[in-house]
Amino acid sequence: MFSADASLLIQIVWLILLLLMFTGLYQRIQIKLWILVIKSKLNVIKSVLEEDKNRVKNMLRNMGLSTPEELVSRLLDFFIIEPVSIEPTDIIKRMDHLLRVTESTFKQVVGRYLPSLGKHERSLAESSLSIVAAIGLIYRVLRHYAIQSEKEENYILLMQLMYLMPQILRVVKTYHEALDSFMYGKPIGDGVGPLVAYTLSEKCNITSRRVVDDTSVLEAVYENRRLIIVKAEGPGSNVGHPGAVISRIVEELGGRVDMILTVDAALKLEGEESGLVTEGVGAAIGDPGPEKIAIERVAAKYNIPLRALVVKMDIREALTTMRKKIYDSVGVVVENIERIIKENVPEGSTLIVAGIGNTMGIPG
Amino acid sequence: MSSLEAIAAALFLLVILYFIYDYYLKKKREESTKYVTRELLMCLNCNYRVEQDFEPGDFIGLVKGKCPNCGGLMKIKAIFSVETST
Ligand SMILES: [Zn+2]
Repeated sequence: MFSADASLLIQIVWLILLLLMFTGLYQRIQIKLWILVIKSKLNVIKSVLEEDKNRVKNMLRNMGLSTPEELVSRLLDFFIIEPVSIEPTDIIKRMDHLLRVTESTFKQVVGRYLPSLGKHERSLAESSLSIVAAIGLIYRVLRHYAIQSEKEENYILLMQLMYLMPQILRVVKTYHEALDSFMYGKPIGDGVGPLVAYTLSEKCNITSRRVVDDTSVLEAVYENRRLIIVKAEGPGSNVGHPGAVISRIVEELGGRVDMILTVDAALKLEGEESGLVTEGVGAAIGDPGPEKIAIERVAAKYNIPLRALVVKMDIREALTTMRKKIYDSVGVVVENIERIIKENVPEGSTLIVAGIGNTMGIPG
Repeated sequence: MSSLEAIAAALFLLVILYFIYDYYLKKKREESTKYVTRELLMCLNCNYRVEQDFEPGDFIGLVKGKCPNCGGLMKIKAIFSVETST
């Protein structure tokens, strides 16, 4: 049994709790606690950023750049201003232009600092720098909201930050892991499309091979059908311009194409199995817009069936070194392609198979 | 102490133990998924296969090394990551 003193103490504690509740002071305490947690998570991201910056600097030093600090700081804060969208006329053309200028500027800047480097290694340096830039952007935006919400004691903003933190940390961790793949040029999960294209090309006898717009176009004969295989030019880190190239090929052939089949990695829903191969209709390509619309437009213009095969994976599997499970799905995709060709494309006709994704570590 | 208080105390202790156990499991799960990159080499002559660790600069289709079986050239067939068994 409690003594009288103890029961008095309990009453006082209850009184304080009630006061905190009615005056809203408990929120203040909560705000302080959340700020502490958010700041500690922010420090985790900062240390990841510093570590990755140093890794990339060391990589650039090994490539022969004695003072990489200037290049890193120049590209770390690089930005793209989005095209005007309240007037959508021509937005795809404008966006495509901006994306291409970004790409060529990145290449030019890295090329200026590392003139003696081969195309393959330079692409790895470019990609590694853009990963560090992505982590840097996340860090800066988070820091902005953390400072702002602390200044204004914005309960709602802090709550959002608090509950989004695990998701953001997972993204940062994924980028951190992805940097390892990009620094050494290992194939990533997103490379499943190009790997399918490469595997398919190994099975056929190639009659011609050309590179257009950073994209390889291979012509082959597959069981009396004219097969055109499109993939980004490898084995550097490169996604090419498959949409623009497919559109060009179809125009060159005057629209006499009987099917366009795209193969890509797709983000899986939670609960779905990684490496699952599924079939559908449409352009399976995850660019900001210009490449995808080019395929859709040309297919609609000439009434060409647009088929798609995707391999399911999560964002971590897509951006880090290709897991065995996903590698094993390549054979399944190739079998599916062969089945679709036999079922839907008559002998003597032409079809385009495009492997969409980053072709790092995959030649052709 | 009454039996009601004893039950309350026991429940409270159980809840705390559960949270510690849950935290420990989560931590262990995060640590255990470490991956290592492997590559599969295949002989162009006799299809002999060798699996080994990835080396920087390698890519699929690269002709690399000699076959331990027949001395023919080996080509990288696949590069993938597998969970380390530790
Ligand atoms: Zn051999």
